[in-house]
Amino acid sequence: MSSISELYDVTWEEMRDKLRKWREENFRNSEQIVDVGEELINEHASKLGDDIWIIYEQVMIAALDCSRDDLAWSCLQELKRQFPDSHRVKRLAGMRLEALERYEDANKLYDSILQDDPTNTAARKRKISILRAQGKSSEAIRELNEYLEQFVGDQEAWHELSELYINEHDYAKAAFCLEELMMTNPHNHLYCEQYGEVKYTQGGLENLELARKYFAQALKLNNRNMRALFGLYMSASHVAASPKVSAKVKKDNVKYAAWAASQISRAYQMAGRGKKENKCSVKAVEEMLESMQITMS
Amino acid sequence: MKMGEVELSCLAYAKMYLHASQFPRSSVNGLLLSSSPAGAAVCITDCVPLLHSHLSLAPITQLALTQVDVWCSQTQQRIVGYYQANACVSDSSPTPCALKIAEKIFEQCNNAVLLMIDGEKMFPGCRVPPIVMYERKDARWALKDKHTIMLRQWEETCSIVNQLFSSGDQTLLVDFDSHLDDITKDWTNQKLNAKIMELISPANGNV
Repeated sequence: MSSISELYDVTWEEMRDKLRKWREENFRNSEQIVDVGEELINEHASKLGDDIWIIYEQVMIAALDCSRDDLAWSCLQELKRQFPDSHRVKRLAGMRLEALERYEDANKLYDSILQDDPTNTAARKRKISILRAQGKSSEAIRELNEYLEQFVGDQEAWHELSELYINEHDYAKAAFCLEELMMTNPHNHLYCEQYGEVKYTQGGLENLELARKYFAQALKLNNRNMRALFGLYMSASHVAASPKVSAKVKKDNVKYAAWAASQISRAYQMAGRGKKENKCSVKAVEEMLESMQITMS
Repeated sequence: MKMGEVELSCLAYAKMYLHASQFPRSSVNGLLLSSSPAGAAVCITDCVPLLHSHLSLAPITQLALTQVDVWCSQTQQRIVGYYQANACVSDSSPTPCALKIAEKIFEQCNNAVLLMIDGEKMFPGCRVPPIVMYERKDARWALKDKHTIMLRQWEETCSIVNQLFSSGDQTLLVDFDSHLDDITKDWTNQKLNAKIMELISPANGNV
């Protein structure tokens, strides 16, 4: 089996830099991290300097994700040896127990961290992840709410909570979480678009109009967000078709829907160019837009 | 085939399995299609993988259903069922979202099936198909008798799935969610379908 460096013709520095990039962007491409990281650790450990410790951590977590307990274990041993009393390493040991589904043992470990340091957010969040893994959604939601009362600026936690609420079909509360996220991340088009989806799902004229506005906002921030574009098209179409709206509102929404439809058409025309296999999806969208067309009366 | 029997083709099974494998940390879902005429039995000949995020949100689901509907009428296929694999592998029971979508499909197809993938049985060497099927009986979705579910050439199907993993072709699978991330990707999976059909031996007739 050839090495990564042979396969992709990369140097060990490039591999190290790639790992850093994935770390910084918080990618969860665990199989790649394991492939690259394992080779780096086995062949080039001495060259990595102090970087090696954070690489051990990154590779260990990725290894757990890929059921590579052998690799996770050896990374953990190295870290334990170097940082014998570290809470951060203890948390990693806990994550390994979680991966082995030894949740009680993992919880004991996290509880011992919290006894030592009650403000340790990482341990608290792991405990909530365990609840989620066990399917105990309402408990996870309760714990996460309590956590957020104390750590109100934790974006990751707000997002996790919105996901939990969406799964439980509690759209109003999901919307609240997304509102928090939009306030602190006004340039993030994904939050706007997700908010639009939640509002659309809640339904009713007011929510559909709101949905349309947030899909439009998402498009302002990123005009290639296809979900926002389709969302705009669908919400505007529904508003225009509603018997409760004034003639002016109807006219405006017909205009928005028509604009969205033309943008969608254009995007698919460009995507379908030269690729035979895309003909199916292009044709499906064309017909769909035709069939969903609302008439001006 | 007899009344009430459901046949699941290798193509449909393989793509469902690949879909669930591609997103092990999320719930995934998709639609089951048939190119056979409506009758007493259901022949699932293909599937379209749909989502791997926010399964319970309406807009993208509605969009996907509409597009698949259009595509089916263009290709002489019908939507005959729905599949889902839950993120939490220990619980393969249908979620409210699954029941809702299955209900919608049932409105158009009176022997529609709801298929839940049992994540706990998705390990190499498992001798039992990791699926649980439900059908509409007495206004609710009831477990289908295992003996009415046909997976012809099961051994061959397993081996084909393994071959797809070893050749790396499982990465070819595109679901509707991925298509929306990059619309140059084909959610009808023409390329992958061709690869799978190549692997299916002539013995496995009607796929």
